[in-house]
Amino acid sequence: MRRLLVFLFSSVVLAADPAMPEKHRALFKEHCVSCHGPEKQKGKFRVDDLPLAITNVEIAEKWQKVLNAMNSGDMPPEDEKQPPSIAKADFLDDLANVMVAARRSLGDQKGVITMRRLNRREYKNTLRELLGVEINVAELPQDGGSGAFDTVGSNLFMSANQIEQYQALGREALEEAFAWQTAASVTKKLHYEGETTTPKVRDFVKYQIDARERAQKWVKAVDDAAAKPENKEIVAKLRAEFPNVSRFRREWARIPGAPNPRTFGFDKKGENDADLANDSLGAGWLKYHEYYTQMPDVDRGAYLGIQTRHPAELNVNYIELLVPFDWPVGDYIVRVRAAAVKDAPAERRFLDFGIHARTGKVLNTYEITGTMENPQTIEIPLTLTRANLSRDNRSLFFREKGSWDTNEEGNRKRAEAVKRNGIGPELVLWVDWIEVERVSNAAKPVPPGFAALKLPLDDKSPAPAAAELHAAFERFATEAFRGTPPPADYVERLMRLYDVRRKAGDKPVAALKETLSVVLASPMFLYLAEPSPDDKRRFLTHEELATRLSYFLWSAPPDVELRKSDLSKPDVLITQTNRLLDDPRSEGFLTAFVHQWLGLDRIDFFEVNRALYPRFDTGTKVAAKGEIHETIAHILKHSASLRDLLKADYVIINRVLAHYYGIHGVKGEGYEKVSLPKGSPRGGLLGMAAIHFMGGNGERTSPVERGAWVLRKLLHDPPPPAPANVPAITRLAGKVLTTQERLLAHQEDPQCASCHRKIDPIGFGLENFDAAGQWRTEDSYTALDANGKPDPKSTKRWPIQPAATFFKGPSFTDFFALRDIIASKSNAFARSFSEALIEFALGRPIGFRDEPLIDGIINQAGKKDLAMREFIHALVSSKEFHTK
Amino acid sequence: MKTRRHFLRSSTALITLPALESMGFRAFAAPKTAAPPNRMVFLGFGWGVTNETWFPDVKKTGAAWELSEGLKPLARHQKDITVVQGCSNKFANEAHWGSTFWLTGANRYAEPGQSFHNSISADQVAAAHLGKDTRYASIQLNTPDAQNSGHGPGLSLAWDLRGKPVAGVENPVAAFHRLFSNETTPLSERQAMLAQKRSVLDAVLEDAKRLQNGLTKTDIDKLDEYFQSIRDIEVRLGKDEQWLSVPKAKSPVAEPKPGLAGKEEIKVMYDLIVAALQTDSTRVLTYRQPVGTLLQSLDIKVAPHDMSHYSPGDRMAASQKRDATQSELLAGLIDKLKAMKEADGTSLFDHVALAYGSNIRTIHYLDNCPTVLTGGGAKLKLGQHLVLPKDTPLCNVWLTMLHGLGVPAERHGDSSGVVKELQA
Repeated sequence: MRRLLVFLFSSVVLAADPAMPEKHRALFKEHCVSCHGPEKQKGKFRVDDLPLAITNVEIAEKWQKVLNAMNSGDMPPEDEKQPPSIAKADFLDDLANVMVAARRSLGDQKGVITMRRLNRREYKNTLRELLGVEINVAELPQDGGSGAFDTVGSNLFMSANQIEQYQALGREALEEAFAWQTAASVTKKLHYEGETTTPKVRDFVKYQIDARERAQKWVKAVDDAAAKPENKEIVAKLRAEFPNVSRFRREWARIPGAPNPRTFGFDKKGENDADLANDSLGAGWLKYHEYYTQMPDVDRGAYLGIQTRHPAELNVNYIELLVPFDWPVGDYIVRVRAAAVKDAPAERRFLDFGIHARTGKVLNTYEITGTMENPQTIEIPLTLTRANLSRDNRSLFFREKGSWDTNEEGNRKRAEAVKRNGIGPELVLWVDWIEVERVSNAAKPVPPGFAALKLPLDDKSPAPAAAELHAAFERFATEAFRGTPPPADYVERLMRLYDVRRKAGDKPVAALKETLSVVLASPMFLYLAEPSPDDKRRFLTHEELATRLSYFLWSAPPDVELRKSDLSKPDVLITQTNRLLDDPRSEGFLTAFVHQWLGLDRIDFFEVNRALYPRFDTGTKVAAKGEIHETIAHILKHSASLRDLLKADYVIINRVLAHYYGIHGVKGEGYEKVSLPKGSPRGGLLGMAAIHFMGGNGERTSPVERGAWVLRKLLHDPPPPAPANVPAITRLAGKVLTTQERLLAHQEDPQCASCHRKIDPIGFGLENFDAAGQWRTEDSYTALDANGKPDPKSTKRWPIQPAATFFKGPSFTDFFALRDIIASKSNAFARSFSEALIEFALGRPIGFRDEPLIDGIINQAGKKDLAMREFIHALVSSKEFHTK
Repeated sequence: MKTRRHFLRSSTALITLPALESMGFRAFAAPKTAAPPNRMVFLGFGWGVTNETWFPDVKKTGAAWELSEGLKPLARHQKDITVVQGCSNKFANEAHWGSTFWLTGANRYAEPGQSFHNSISADQVAAAHLGKDTRYASIQLNTPDAQNSGHGPGLSLAWDLRGKPVAGVENPVAAFHRLFSNETTPLSERQAMLAQKRSVLDAVLEDAKRLQNGLTKTDIDKLDEYFQSIRDIEVRLGKDEQWLSVPKAKSPVAEPKPGLAGKEEIKVMYDLIVAALQTDSTRVLTYRQPVGTLLQSLDIKVAPHDMSHYSPGDRMAASQKRDATQSELLAGLIDKLKAMKEADGTSLFDHVALAYGSNIRTIHYLDNCPTVLTGGGAKLKLGQHLVLPKDTPLCNVWLTMLHGLGVPAERHGDSSGVVKELQA
């Protein structure tokens, strides 16, 4: 094959085997050889002849034994002379890193890319591209898990269950797609006026007042009966048994002469009627309900308040709208016209939109800038699928941000307000009306799967003839197999299957869906195959290259234009790469890559402690997660430099974050670029709330977690994975110490120091960010008393002291200086980014022979100020990317 | 049929044909034997236990041992459980992988040129022998919370003959349906359905065969997973055919509510384990238990990984509460196994070999894996506290269990022999 492309990089491979530095022999000689040498081989283990270079699995296992024994403190034995701490820490530091390198080297696939199946995301996207619908694939097993990207083929397994799941999901996708196609032109609209709530509240107020009066009368009647001298004995007995008066009244039936609550209109339908009477006596939240009805403009709209009664009884907390069950799947638009009252405080001008208020899945949060005189209308696009068929995923809700994310948090806010004003939180958000509209999809292009099928999609038309079916199956399979026609026998099998279904009584469309679902479980659909008969490395064909490129940048199959492009021409490749990156489908790459590259799964591992960080509510957390993606999307879109992730004079935020960070200037509804004032700690990854949130546990910060993250992701100096069996330091437990004092203990034990001397100082420099990513200048610690409760007397406060020194590196005085040092190491960051990109794109772990490729990518990107897009151009034009 | 099998035989040396008898040439299940059959159950959790309060005092061994704080809820069964200390998987290096190598003892790096390798798990070794006469050779139970629960890679506790992960059933409702839901369709339709499933396999195999042409050796190995999966379905279809006219057992328990998580999820899964054994639907079960949702269901706010790095205070309290709750659940399971009577008057408990534990001891320690053994199925000496020499292969314990169950395995994983002290 004649290649028009000139490859950028040579592929000279000179990977030296990872080896322990010679100097460490001294430690062996001094401390190990007397028991594990030529004379004695205790435990049948000898170290003096252990090669320093780790060239095979056996040697690696021996060194692993050495590392394990020294990490666990088993060697040298306690009663023997111990090596000096520094020497031991250096030894362990080197050995742990050499082992990482050795594992990598021994596990090196030598550039071979294992054929792989589509991972869960790609499978979902591939169905979407083929059939035009999104389905829920959560039941497929999660990919990855061993720390590699979910594109790495050798980790993507197949099982019998999975094949059946693929067929079932394929069938589901076909059902969904047929439903979309047949309902494409349906339009529906419902309009809901906010003031619908008002009469409900008014009636409830009336009811509460009336019920309270009746309850008081009943109570009096019970008390009167209880006061009768002839009842003295039983009453005394009941009072002793039930000191609580409500509980006492509940036993009214045992007091002769006490009236049935039902005669006062309290009928709890089979349960104890007295409970209803007792409850009505308190008329819970009556004042708040009265306050609601007295608000201005309640005849034109609804206020969003807090939860008072059970939502089924009365709901003034949120508005929930059920999309009618008979409305079809498809694209929807939700509109809401809303306003905030004049004196609404800034932090209460945000509206959450989501599905199913009780479980509180917030989809997005909007700042309400509309006034009562001039409300604003917000338009929200929404897609409903066959997964939205039940009440709890079909009920849309609007609620004030963070007003009732959880019962615990809602109660806390409500109690605070009652303490302040005796009523409850002030009503500040107002909704005029809400509209839900199902819009026609008829103008959308027909998805390629259907375009290929060209068969009737309902049973009103006559059943297709055999020849017609045969051709349709062939076209559909070719499309599903990304352009490769299926073998003739395969189509025959499909025909037979269709016949079996028809004979079993299926109507033509049912038999068709069943048959097509088999295509979606077939290997040519599930695997990205690049055949190479003679086991030799070869260049990819055009089709294969198009597939590789689109699964890299879209996590989805190539479209027609890409399949037709001659990607061997460098200028075509550049144009197409840019086109793919500018297409909305590149979201498939960005979201997955960023999430895995930066290890963002930790964001969802724990909940923030809202008592400590009340502002970090669900809406804010969603927005903070969004900031990471939006910032990287911005950099990629505008060909900005990777350096902007280390330090930048701007942020990409929305209104929720602007408020959280105290930054002004967001104009639109979504994320946008805002310049930072001088001296702002924001800008770049290290200024983001979500990044710092991950570096803690929702309550306290973890300098270790943060320091390790910086080394791993930004500085290309990953600490070895958490070693097994290192003894934990327990002597400081329960002591009142500053974070720094606590962590300094790491420096005493060489096993700990070997890694922590690098990790901890960076973490100290980030201590100005609290566990929810806000800037702070002070921290505190409170010990627990004997009962495990915080003991306020023990509380110690200290000013944050961010000054520290990199291990064998520069010192810094504060966060800003630390950030400058990290920003100056942009080449290390570029390397870390390149490696991640290669692994993700090629679906194989990085090996030593990839060094020239990495260098080449960094060089090329370096010429354009490390523009993020240039890394991708360099990678896709490399020989590795074009080779099987 | 012939062509497909012929193709399977020729496509790769690794795909061997299932024995004729398992392909459904007998119309009915094996006649019930007089003696109750042997069963094996593994219950695995991630993130280890609380070191200080879970392990019994090493100075008090043998039958004169004392229950530790974390095992207290098992007091009523003290004479029927054995706690083993000192065992580990010598190749285990991953401080956060509590289950990946727990039952296999494999070396992750054994294959040059690969960064991950595993081998068959003890339950699958048992299933090949104990699973012949039941509807399911083995059942793997899993949790939707697996990723957060410190288990490491895998789809369940089980790994097949070739060291590939075996998929698990994700939740109690799915497990219930797998075990007890009967098809309501008439026999003839179900036969037609089986025929259709075979036609589906025929079709996809046609495609796989074409794909295989021209692949490199590594890729063929990868595609073998697909062939192997097809073969697994075939074997299952064969079994389905064999069991077609035998309705599934009537469930002794009600269908679980959907959405159970944490403590309730474990409890219901344990009930399903008893139900599966009681009805002889299978004789080998594993359960990869949730830890993250367990904490949530106990109203513990600490994240599971943070809990495992406890120091005295709320994290250690969380860790201890987890220990106690898990022990309490296990005690409840043992109660039920004991209460269930077999036809010959013995109890289900007498015929089960059950191991409960993790590859992680505590924090990042992978030595002295927490191990509790119970049940009379493997004829182990129960009511003991056994402190074995440090770094005894955990696989020696599994091998001892397998032998006790009558499974003729020569060795397992990195085993160096059986644990004589365990044998009654």
